[in-house]
Amino acid sequence: MPTLTINGKQVTVPAGTPIIRAAAQVGVNIPHFCYHPTLSTPGNCRMCLVEASDARGLAASCYHKCTEGAVVNTETARVKAARQAVLEFILVNHPVDCPICDQAGECKLQDYYMTHDHKPSRVTTAKNSKSKAKPIGPHVVFDGERCILCTRCIRFCDEITGTSELTTEQRGDHTEITTFPGRELDNAYSMCVTDLCPVGALTTRDFRFKTRVWLLSSTDSLCTGCSRGCNIHMEHHEGEVKRYRPRLNPEVNEYWMCDEGRLSYQHHNLGRTTAIRLRDQREVQWPRAARQTAEALTAAVAKANGQVAMLTSPQLSCESLLAAREFASTVLGNATVYVGGNPSGGNDAFLITSDKNPNRAGVVQVFGPAILANTAYKLLEEMEQGRVQALYLMRGELPFDTAGRARFAAALSRVALVVYQGPHGLDLEERAHIFLPSATHAEQDGTYVNETGYAQAAYAAVPAMGQALADWDVLSRIARAAEMPLSFDSFDALHATLAATIAAE
Amino acid sequence: MSVTVRITQRPERTLRVQAYIPEVIRGLSVTTRQMLRNLFGGKDITTIQYPEVKRRYPERYRGLHRLMHRDDGQVRCVACMCCSTACPANCIHIVAAEHDDNGIEKYPATFVIDELRCIVCGFCVEACPCDAIRMDSGVHVQPFLDRDTAFFDKGELLSRGTASIATQGGTFKGSSHSHH
Ligand code: SF4
Ligand code: SF4
Ligand code: SF4
Ligand code: SF4
Ligand code: FES
Repeated sequence: MPTLTINGKQVTVPAGTPIIRAAAQVGVNIPHFCYHPTLSTPGNCRMCLVEASDARGLAASCYHKCTEGAVVNTETARVKAARQAVLEFILVNHPVDCPICDQAGECKLQDYYMTHDHKPSRVTTAKNSKSKAKPIGPHVVFDGERCILCTRCIRFCDEITGTSELTTEQRGDHTEITTFPGRELDNAYSMCVTDLCPVGALTTRDFRFKTRVWLLSSTDSLCTGCSRGCNIHMEHHEGEVKRYRPRLNPEVNEYWMCDEGRLSYQHHNLGRTTAIRLRDQREVQWPRAARQTAEALTAAVAKANGQVAMLTSPQLSCESLLAAREFASTVLGNATVYVGGNPSGGNDAFLITSDKNPNRAGVVQVFGPAILANTAYKLLEEMEQGRVQALYLMRGELPFDTAGRARFAAALSRVALVVYQGPHGLDLEERAHIFLPSATHAEQDGTYVNETGYAQAAYAAVPAMGQALADWDVLSRIARAAEMPLSFDSFDALHATLAATIAAE
Repeated sequence: MSVTVRITQRPERTLRVQAYIPEVIRGLSVTTRQMLRNLFGGKDITTIQYPEVKRRYPERYRGLHRLMHRDDGQVRCVACMCCSTACPANCIHIVAAEHDDNGIEKYPATFVIDELRCIVCGFCVEACPCDAIRMDSGVHVQPFLDRDTAFFDKGELLSRGTASIATQGGTFKGSSHSHH
């Protein structure tokens, strides 16, 4: 455990710690391009040079290990001159495409130039030309001129995904990142290289030219693509979700997320059904919708002889599920609760899990483990045998293939009253008697429990689209109209009830 | 920076001022003198026969926007959105798209300025890294009879444009090398 002094501050770190980590512990930020805590350390960018008493010349703080009694200085004139020289060197061939570069605004080269260099160029010769706007895989586009050859992308593919698609070709200032012959950058995590790339050399094809990053606002949220529950920055502009970016959580997803999950932000914007429909009435406002839904449900439940069902979903947050539980037992007169959700799919040994729903563990916590026996398939059979008179559907994701969905849609016609609440109409909307639009997880707060049992919060990022409301709000309005108000009247109260319920059970 | 303070006294309200009539006569005599000069004074007239005669605008007068051309007549704008970011009136609306020419890459598929919202501050011109947007058209904003006509689209803005004297990279044409 060497103890050393960094900019006058003492710090003790485990043996083998590089200076850059020790410095971070005492709040000293050392600029760097190629170093990344999860990757190997080639020390090729030289941006992290510092003065260390135990080094000949300047030391690269990303691989120079801390030694007992070392004295490190990161802000001396010599270090500053070295940084400036490194940046000037990098910029010799840099195109300074910033106006058309998607990285502008979150570019380390821009930032460091402003803080550590800020000198006009002295270069009078022509710059090298390299690949421009070259797609190197289904999701990633490459710009050779902007690349600073830090090799983070190569190391990611070698060391994290183990897929090794990338390498360098040529030498010197003609070096260029490329895929191996006949290969594409198409692993399941390929877009992570665009987060790793400190400059705009690797950017996503999806976000390309969509907006400028400085216009984005960011809200802490989760990916709902599978039961890993990767932590994300949900980034949005003018009320529209524009992209997901992984948010560091060493316990869940580290710095990464899969491509499919990253692109799943689109479901907030696409295929939405955001208008209320009461049988054939449209352009209905919520007060009337709640009243008429309550009347229809009360009448149907009275006639149904206990044959009432509710389909909940592991797509819903714990709060929505708890509201659904109360709603099922009061307004729906002890309805039988079933569990829907997306069908399971492929998984891998890294992040992707086979359960394509974010909150199955939450369903178990709210309803108890026995609930899992009440599958959507069981509900389908009950419906087909005419044993369901009233059905309340929360979300339209079903664990079926296309044929199964068609069977389910057909079976809905045997149910006297179908109320469907969801952000997307999917193929079930027109089969329902009443459709009530609800918010996606970008539009409402919620807690989701991932596969390993972590309860994680996702916060509302954008206002709900059209007439959509938070799930608890929809249920609560109907319950009030049915004169059986739920036991909470705000999200906060519901959240507190959830915490108390889970602690008690 | 030091601040100079100058104290000025209000003019005294003398009896003559308070008597009102002499001051009115004094005012009317100025008006009458001016009128006679305009009628018989020849060249020495203050009033301009607008719109037949126009006053010369100062060189940095901010007129209607225009979008500048590349050498081949295409729009210079690369849809970087610096202008729309800088615009305090939030009146520039740009949708960027991929250009077929890899050397250009990004261009504005739509570029609309709401001239009714524009407060004519010129920030957009200052922000543009490409000499693509200018307000040196010398045309001042006309009144609009209908809101829709106040939305100037790319075609309209380009119609007032000309080729820029700047080359890609920010130096003047004719200088021996690029600065980056
Ligand atoms: S990589 Fe950074 S410095 Fe280079 S063009 Fe893009 S934003 Fe500008
Ligand atoms: S493409 Fe980006 S991450 Fe890869 S070497 Fe170049 S700068 Fe580094
Ligand atoms: S002049 Fe000012 S208000 Fe008008 S478009 Fe430009 S930045 Fe916006
Ligand atoms: S600042 Fe200039 S180049 Fe950028 S979008 Fe506006 S007009 Fe186009
Ligand atoms: S970060 Fe140390 S050499 Fe690149």
